[in-house]
Formats: sequence, structure tokens, C-alpha cells
Amino acid sequence: MIVGDLKPIEEIAASLAGCRKVRVLACDGCVTICRAGGEAEAKDLARALAHPMHHRGPPPELTVDTIQRQCENDLLKAFLQIPEGIDAVLSLACGVGVQMVADVLEPLPVIPALSTTFMGGADEPGVWREKCKGCGDCLLASTAGICPIAGCAKSLLNGPCGGTMQGHCEIHPEVPCAWLRIYERLKAQNRLHLLDEVREPRDWRKAGYEGRRERRRTGVELK
Amino acid sequence: MSFFQVNDKCNGCLACVQNCPAGALGFVDKKDTRTLRHNMARCARCLTCWRICPQEAVEFEHLLVNRWDEVATLILLRCRVCGEPIHTARLTEDLDQKLVDMTEPLCARHRARSKAKERLLDRR
Repeated sequence: MIVGDLKPIEEIAASLAGCRKVRVLACDGCVTICRAGGEAEAKDLARALAHPMHHRGPPPELTVDTIQRQCENDLLKAFLQIPEGIDAVLSLACGVGVQMVADVLEPLPVIPALSTTFMGGADEPGVWREKCKGCGDCLLASTAGICPIAGCAKSLLNGPCGGTMQGHCEIHPEVPCAWLRIYERLKAQNRLHLLDEVREPRDWRKAGYEGRRERRRTGVELK
Repeated sequence: MSFFQVNDKCNGCLACVQNCPAGALGFVDKKDTRTLRHNMARCARCLTCWRICPQEAVEFEHLLVNRWDEVATLILLRCRVCGEPIHTARLTEDLDQKLVDMTEPLCARHRARSKAKERLLDRR
């Protein structure tokens, strides 16, 4: 799932400068589950933003709505309703949702209330950790299901760096070294031979450093 | 069938209601009863309710049994020669409105034969 964090309220309020009527739009997808952009958070944000202390002029009139997914173009076209006179939409979706809503509502300004943080999962209630960088060339088959691209602060491909201390990362001492975890799990699987292979430098163009990535699947077009 | 089901261990503590991130659970107290409610449109299917329930009363096993729910039953037309299922009568009706030619219920094999027969008759 995609994890996001609410932006500082001062930043959000500054983005809404000059707007008199704002639609606060929650998303019932990933950001609801990670407690950043669901209806409850949208109502809390609208309540907080209504306070004059955040605005130079009068605070905007804020109304709240929720849609099941902001990342589905046709769902938005069919079901998203924006009342007359709205000056801007404040979206609590991830960056994907904000852009999809902005495309559908063009030229109405759509302003993000969240910063999209990472693709991750909840290891325990209330704790989401990054699991995947979407690098486009998955290594997990040979790293015991632990991603060194997302899990290692240096995204190393061939084992830990020299800074590993007591099994922890030198950059974030509270984080276990991803490569130690990989080693231990491969050892438990009796597959340590997978570490004998030296990985060549990667083609980072697949990770998106060559511009926007696009995938087309044939046979799924609507005619 | 509802996505959210509880068994008889539910004691109405409302832990699920209080922890649902999507606001998809609620309750109504009337006279001497408390009714737990679930709203499928709001539900994000995150399973927080199942995870949080101290009574282990929330059940999702019914969603894991790989059962098919019948959602529609329509009149089926079969090839009049061999009986092979072709399409529904409703589809014929809808296609009739869109196509000039009648879509006769014939499978691909017998449609080809039928057309060949028609061409033969035309020549005569």
C-alpha cells in the first residue's frame, strides 16, 4: 500500500491562500488504512484549517467529501461531485490520487494535503515500514524476500557496508541491517550459496531515472 | 453476503467501531438492544476490526472459502442443431437493437454452414 503523511498545517493553509470555498476530499483507499487521508483525518483537518490563526485573511469555507479511490479515472468521472463555487480541492490522497483528480477537474486547482511517503506495509499495528522502491527489477528471489534497495540505507547489492554495527545500520542505528537479515534468513533456508553470485551494477533506468514509466497491456482496452 | 460478519462471541465492546480507520462501523442503541452496523461503501477492507477484536468475534473466513456467489441468472440460447451454449436471450435482444442482421442462435460451425446454405439458395 501507499503510505502518506499529512503536511504541516501552515503549508496547507498557505497553499489555500485566496480560496474562499474549499472541498476537502478524503480517499477511502491506502491513505485511509495508514490513517493519513481518510474521512476522519479529512474532518480533523477541515476543523483545524477553519481556525483563523492559520490564515492572513478570513479562513475558507471547508466542506468534506470522501471517494472510494482517487486513483481511478473513470470512478472519479462517474461519481466525484464538486459543488458550484468551489475555488479549490484539497486532496488527502497520495500523489497519484491528487494528479488523477486534477486531471478530471481541470482547470480547478487541486492541492495536496499529504506528502506521499513510500510503498510499504504495517509490520505491527500503527507502524508502517517501506518495503519496495518500485525499482523495476525485483531482487527478492535471491535476497530471501528482503529488499536491499528499500531496506538498506545505501541500497547496496552485494552485502553490507563496513558501517554495520552490532547488526544495525550506521545511518539509522535503530534499523536492523538489511543485509544481516538477508544473510540470516538465507542461512535458515540453507540457501547461502545465493550470496556467492556478484551482482553487476544495475540499470537504474528501469527504476524511473529515464523519465516517466509506462506500461501497456494488450487486450484490456475498452472499445 | 456481508464482508463484515461477527460470531456469537461479540460482546458489543465497540473496539472495532472505535478503531475502524474508514468509519465503516457504527452502532445503534435502541431501548434494550445494541446493534452493530457495517457500511460496505465506506469499508477499506483493511481488516483492522478483525485484528483489534479482543473477543475474536470478527470473521472473514467466509471470504476465504473460494465460493462463487450467483449474481445473475438469464435465459440461455443454444445452438438449435447441436445444443452448444451460444449466448443469452437478453444479449440477442440487445444486439437486435444494434445490428441490422438478426443474430440467430447458432454456434460458429453451424453459422458458417447456415450462411453457406443461404448463399447456395441465393444462387438458385
